[in-house]
Amino acid sequence: MNPSLPLAACIEAIQHLTDDTSLFTLQLAERPAEHQPSPAHFQPGQFLQLSLAGAGEAPISYCGFPSKNGSIELCIRRAGRVTAALHALAPGDQVAVRGPFGHGFPLALYAGHDVLMMAGGLGMAPLRSLLLALLHQRERYGRLTLLYGAKAPEALLFKHELTDLANRKDLQLRLAVDRAGDCPSGLPDCRVALLPALLEGLPLDPQRTVVALCGPPAAYRFLVPPLLERGISPQQLHLSLERRMHCGMGHCGHCAVGTLLCCTDGPVFAYNALQTIEGAL
Amino acid sequence: MTLSALSYNDLPLFLARLRTLGELHGPVRGSDGAVRFGPLPPGLQPDLTTQRSLLPPKKYLLAPSETILTYHPATGYQAPPQPKTPLVLLGIHPCDLAAIVYLDRLFLADPPDPTYTARRDRLILIGSSCTPDQYCSCQQLPSPLPTDCDLFLYQQADGLLLRFEGPKGALLREALQDLLQSVSAEQPPASTRDHFGNTGVAATHDELDPNLPDWQQLADHCLGCGACSISCPTCSCFEVLEFGGLDGCSAERLRRWDNCLFKSHSEVAGGHSFQKDRAQRFRYRYRHKYHGYGQLRGLPSCVGCGRCRVQCPTGLDLRPLAQRLERSAP
Repeated sequence: MNPSLPLAACIEAIQHLTDDTSLFTLQLAERPAEHQPSPAHFQPGQFLQLSLAGAGEAPISYCGFPSKNGSIELCIRRAGRVTAALHALAPGDQVAVRGPFGHGFPLALYAGHDVLMMAGGLGMAPLRSLLLALLHQRERYGRLTLLYGAKAPEALLFKHELTDLANRKDLQLRLAVDRAGDCPSGLPDCRVALLPALLEGLPLDPQRTVVALCGPPAAYRFLVPPLLERGISPQQLHLSLERRMHCGMGHCGHCAVGTLLCCTDGPVFAYNALQTIEGAL
Repeated sequence: MTLSALSYNDLPLFLARLRTLGELHGPVRGSDGAVRFGPLPPGLQPDLTTQRSLLPPKKYLLAPSETILTYHPATGYQAPPQPKTPLVLLGIHPCDLAAIVYLDRLFLADPPDPTYTARRDRLILIGSSCTPDQYCSCQQLPSPLPTDCDLFLYQQADGLLLRFEGPKGALLREALQDLLQSVSAEQPPASTRDHFGNTGVAATHDELDPNLPDWQQLADHCLGCGACSISCPTCSCFEVLEFGGLDGCSAERLRRWDNCLFKSHSEVAGGHSFQKDRAQRFRYRYRHKYHGYGQLRGLPSCVGCGRCRVQCPTGLDLRPLAQRLERSAP
């Protein structure tokens, strides 16, 4: 048994979402050893380590919902060495994965609550996993709201799915973009505003609402204060943090947030655990 | 506790017996005057009196750079084979023994690190008593960690007192049996230290005050060389690197010692760094050394060996600050 040993996986499909971001669907080509967790069985908010031989390994959030056939969806932006090499691959090519790692969104706690999801940029990737899980058992949750902000309309991820979401009666969707552009047809209006502005006029019952945030660090600094002002308690507010996570097992020492480790204590944290930690957000 | 005695005259025999158990390594003084842990072939005397080796014994458990996986298209990623022959490590001071206990708690806990586990399994640890000098802080800030080993040597004026522990200790005793003299003493003399005492300093859980002027003072004098962490027996941050082979299809994954005072330590893809300024990075280091993190949260990792202070080219020292901040803890 070796938790640092990646399992072979095959790229099944690649869907281009924006000019630098694609959705990769992987299928495990190798079975995990007995009593070993399978990288295809995960909770929304957890992450895996994606390996490309010769390029290295990078932590990537799960983007899909665990499917029966064991495929793994990862929404990946071309940002570093590994992801650049990944974007040069084609369906049928081999990669390797290990995981799942960390703690995801506390779905058990979300049952019976209104769930407000706020995504900034690539933060939509892990929140899509959460959203799919919530919609999968829609009856377990109260009101669902997704507020999603991107740089420009063309940078919005999962445009087709957003169109579908916009037509649902059991979910409220609001979109914001930093700068105007061609808003894809069928989408609800994109406000030219920053993500926190989407909270304005949003009906919110703080007693029965949990909030899941995912975005760049700067977004958190602007999102958390207005949510607290609206009466959301720090315990009901969950954020997914990004850190340099080399090993995923709490060994390499790169991802400490205060005395917490992002890889084993997170990457999803309740805000009350982070509140007093310098540099957490 | 039963102790045995060994005359200093029998030291060559003692070493010869240890060599029958496996590869023998210990502190050796080099031609440059520095003491390093290294092979002890016949004829070479270990230096059991020098205060501290240049590098701590952690290099036997986490090599400065080591291959953790190899890749070939036909076989995928595979862990490289690890040597299994025992390695007897002689002359480890109590602080360094405690540091190994710390690394064990980190790397052998679930999920255990396979490379570390293999390296640890083959080690036979022989500790040795010492006398703290002005750079040691084992007295002022004692670590709460035990100083486990398989055999401990109390250095006396006329010879060694030996204390064997556990199954590997029993193996050692068997190999050394006819060299040992029984002694009546049940306890080693108080002057020979083998532990930190049982008054280890508990970590405070307070978040560090970023406004203390100390952080900036440390940052202003730090050259960013990384010597403190290379020489620290519990600094175990590693970065993972991968290199493609010249054949265009094989690859090798390495891990290499890293340092939290380097800006790159917290950098993520795209270049964002979560510890941009050096004062912030000193707090990161301080937290690990005195508050612990992850599953070892609450357990200070500084064992007081003094290497960071000795090695720092500008004489930086976190310990006076620790004595101020951690003393107030119960």
